[in-house]
Amino acid sequence: MVTSQKLQRQSNPWWRRFYAMTVKEVLQLFRDYVLLFFIAYAFTADVYWAGSGVTLELVHSALAIHDSDHSASSRQLISEFHSPYFKNIGEISDLREASPLLDSGKATIVIDIPPKFEESIRRSKQTGVQMQVDATNSVLGLLASTYSTQIVTTYGLRESLSANGISPSRTGTLPAIVDDHRIWFNPNQTDSWFMSISELLNVITVLAILLPAAAMVREKEKGTVEQLLVSPLSPIEIMLPKVIAMTAVILFGTALCMFLILGPVFHTPFRGSLILFFVITTLYIYTTAGIGLFAASLSKNLAQVGMLTILMLAPMLFLSGAWTPPEALPTWMRNAMYFSPMHYYIDLSFGILLKGAGWRLLWPSIWPMVSLGAAVFGFGAWRFRRQFA
Amino acid sequence: MKLERVTAIIVKESQEIVRDRLFFSLAFLVPTVLMMLFGFGLSFDVEHIPFVLVDRDNSSLSREYSHKFISSRYFDLQGYAKNENELDSLLITNRIRAVIVIPEHFETDLLAGRPAHLQTLIDGTFPFRARTTIGYVTAINAAATMEVLATFLSQRQGIPLQDAARSLQPVRLDVRYLYNQSLKSIWSLAPKLLMVILMISPPFLTALGIVRERERGSIYNIYSSTVTRGEFVVGKLLPYVGISILNGLVLWILATRLYGTPFKGSMLFFLFALTLYVVCTAGIGLVVSVFVHTQTAAMIATVIITVIPAVLYSGVLIPIASLTRGSQVIAHLLPAMYFTNIVLGCFLKGVGFEALRNDILILAGYACSLFTAGYLFFNKRPSE
Repeated sequence: MVTSQKLQRQSNPWWRRFYAMTVKEVLQLFRDYVLLFFIAYAFTADVYWAGSGVTLELVHSALAIHDSDHSASSRQLISEFHSPYFKNIGEISDLREASPLLDSGKATIVIDIPPKFEESIRRSKQTGVQMQVDATNSVLGLLASTYSTQIVTTYGLRESLSANGISPSRTGTLPAIVDDHRIWFNPNQTDSWFMSISELLNVITVLAILLPAAAMVREKEKGTVEQLLVSPLSPIEIMLPKVIAMTAVILFGTALCMFLILGPVFHTPFRGSLILFFVITTLYIYTTAGIGLFAASLSKNLAQVGMLTILMLAPMLFLSGAWTPPEALPTWMRNAMYFSPMHYYIDLSFGILLKGAGWRLLWPSIWPMVSLGAAVFGFGAWRFRRQFA
Repeated sequence: MKLERVTAIIVKESQEIVRDRLFFSLAFLVPTVLMMLFGFGLSFDVEHIPFVLVDRDNSSLSREYSHKFISSRYFDLQGYAKNENELDSLLITNRIRAVIVIPEHFETDLLAGRPAHLQTLIDGTFPFRARTTIGYVTAINAAATMEVLATFLSQRQGIPLQDAARSLQPVRLDVRYLYNQSLKSIWSLAPKLLMVILMISPPFLTALGIVRERERGSIYNIYSSTVTRGEFVVGKLLPYVGISILNGLVLWILATRLYGTPFKGSMLFFLFALTLYVVCTAGIGLVVSVFVHTQTAAMIATVIITVIPAVLYSGVLIPIASLTRGSQVIAHLLPAMYFTNIVLGCFLKGVGFEALRNDILILAGYACSLFTAGYLFFNKRPSE
């Protein structure tokens, strides 16, 4: 008894309070099984869904053909439209059938080959092929027309060369600019690498803001904050343990996702140092929690804090470069991007995981992320303290 | 089910919502902000790709060729380099996305009628961007090859350059873009955004509304009252359905007025489909609320359950036909895809009930089963 009292007096009271609060936060989190289930779901199933089977590429675009020529040439041209980009769903005998097919979405492209197609080519007269593209999805509409133009141009070039007495097999003796491209960091253009990693980073960001914010406001809503206020705890001692407990949970989830989903399922390479990745992630979660604390200081109940965090999260996720490439954003949005800590975090994560960069190369992204994060956290903590005063 | 008790619940819930001013204004502000943000910013028209040029040939032809890249709005020249090996760190730190290497003897080879091999290094982290970049390079190359070939042919056959160029392209492709003639991204995007936002916000609001009573303990008033569970579920949901329909109308105004998306269908039919869809997504919130006990869990659960399916498995970014087989099955199991068909039909195609009957029926079936599930799992006798 004496020794334990002695021990208690010797150990730092600040540290003891801190420890007790952290244990309380972890216990509270772990007793909400449903919440834990959804956090686990976010790091596994959700990332899996995002990474599997989704690609922004023209695949098996349904193509209907109206052929008024029925010649060897027209059949030759039609056969050039094949998988993986196109899927020939058959011929229509009347062009009037095209519109219901396109309206219902059964066909996305209708190609119309004019009569006397073969004859015109043989007489070196220019002829036109009509194409109707469903452009409701403008990206794929554009891709469809790009690929088709390429197919038709190559076909026409070959026909014209053989008409000029140059055999197409001897193209090696013709002037042409051939593009030998090499794709770095993701040579096979595996969409699942990109999609799964960016979804993981999205999940980390959502939880890093929402969890500490909810933990804080929950105390307000239930009234337990009054107990904390009359205790010897300072605002920082109330706030830090929450952030630390949530950081630990999110880091655990990240590891779960990387070693259960990213690695084994999608075969994502981890080219850089995993230690560096986890250090950066810890810094990021910790500092981003500041946004949650700020939202928590503005709200009185969980419904409010939920809506507020979504309002703050949406631009952040959006301006991160994970949903749309920065090169596709208008200039003012690209400038706004430099104020989003997530933008740097995304660059860092892809830099470490896919590009294998070390901290020396990444330094130009590390310091803005940390200083922005520190500013956000400082502001959040200051607002948070003020509400107790 | 007694109408006056349902009305009482509706009035109570509406007053609670309206009196929480911050929550009430955010319920309208969040969808609007999302619509503006995505509408103005979500674009896949990649332009200004930063690149570095390595010109090993340094001839007049190679300069003429590289000018095609420099003057293109799709590329943004960051400078010249002697050797592509020094450029690793620039690619890694995202300062450039591509390197174009023009080989030695570029001019000599082409003039002598031999192919020249261009080398491009492309940052492949974001596959969509890499694919687009390759597309641009291929298009520029094709045009340049045509010019070189035409010159070659006119010299060889002794015909004028223009005739040679025309004879190289015997077949022209005339492309007509349907439903969205000018190919403006936003026209096809705005109606789909309406679908995405109404997939996320109603379940969020509804689940919070119900779980809030449970977490605060005020639900014991309901447990001990004469209100039946059916009356409670309906009365509790209707105010959120109402808010969401209003939000849908606000989003409709933004889509047509701000973004100028044409609305070709019937407004009455659209309103009917909108109501059905909102009831359906609010039903998702109802089902979530039955299983979770804390508002924190309710928020995280609805966000995670709705966002990914709404964005990736609904036909917003990727058409259903382009998904893999397994993902297509998932897409068909979720309500988002059917409402995407409806909004696209209403806005861009101007088709009505006949063409979209199946989608409407499936949504209705969805709404019914979600409500039945919510009704069955909701219990007035708490186990704890």
